[in-house]
Amino acid sequence: MAQATHHEDGHHSNTVTLRGRQITVEGGIYTVVFVALAILTVIEVLSAEGLKAAIYDNPDAAAALEAIKAALLLIIAVIKSTLVIWFYMHLRDEHPLLAVVLLLPLLIAGLSILYLLAIPPGGYSL
Amino acid sequence: MAELTADQLTAPAHDDHGHLSVEDSNNNLKLGVWLYLASEVVIFSIMIVGYVLLRINEPDVVAEAHEQLGVGLVTANTFVLLASSFFMVMGLRAMQQGNRAGMLRWIGLTALGGIVFLCGQYIEYSELSHLGIVLGYDLESQWSTLGMRFYAPTFFHGAHVFVGVLWALEVMRRGAKGRYDNNPIGIEMFGLYWHFVDVVWIMLFTLIYLV
Repeated sequence: MAQATHHEDGHHSNTVTLRGRQITVEGGIYTVVFVALAILTVIEVLSAEGLKAAIYDNPDAAAALEAIKAALLLIIAVIKSTLVIWFYMHLRDEHPLLAVVLLLPLLIAGLSILYLLAIPPGGYSL
Repeated sequence: MAELTADQLTAPAHDDHGHLSVEDSNNNLKLGVWLYLASEVVIFSIMIVGYVLLRINEPDVVAEAHEQLGVGLVTANTFVLLASSFFMVMGLRAMQQGNRAGMLRWIGLTALGGIVFLCGQYIEYSELSHLGIVLGYDLESQWSTLGMRFYAPTFFHGAHVFVGVLWALEVMRRGAKGRYDNNPIGIEMFGLYWHFVDVVWIMLFTLIYLV
């Protein structure tokens, strides 16, 4: 997504700067973010369906394509989530402590998930 | 949550009785909501990892479910929830601009988005039950391992949307009485919750329906 900033009284301005160009849109940065979310969702669904067909057509490369598909879709989902948190939840305007409040449980959950993924499907044989 | 009184709204940073300034009080309330959301992150993460483990260990079951379901309905539902998040932030913006009528309109649309989402989820669950994907554990069914892993995160999320709709209606009731005219923190707190529910769905949509 293009770098976006907004002007004057921040949340109330309808003027947004995209790649150095000022544009006026009702709703300002919030509308731009919504359009970006919608476009990313379309890209996400089309990519998933396209790669699903490619996996079906190329069973030999299925593992690699599955990995590419998962990585691509997760990257898009993280970008979408970040847009919502950063702009709609106004994390960019808040004290950095709130970012820590959000990231700490994510870190703990992430580490726990990695631990769980390492357990063999049948469990450990003792 | 406690509403600020008119005296508190016009008070200096700290008055003789030790009341916090409006700004400090708002910051404390927002920190409280963020801490609550942090606890939700952990709960949803546990449910998501349960599904991810199934996805890794039994890819054929998940692929078959994807094949049966398709992504049309859930994609439409995703757009509805994304739009409701946009309506929400526009409602807060309207109130910050002193536009109470605009706020009521936007928050009303937010609630409507939540209701439409829940209707879509009901339709999806009906289709799933026709396919035999249910909560019960049936050894004869190929879906027995999928049911709980799928319903736990999606139903828990749906319950959050339901609570959000009720909260939106309460915000509208209070807003109509002018409770947020001087301090829209109540709308902002609801917004944090609603956007979080949207973020959770963004991840669930990708992990459960697309990957």
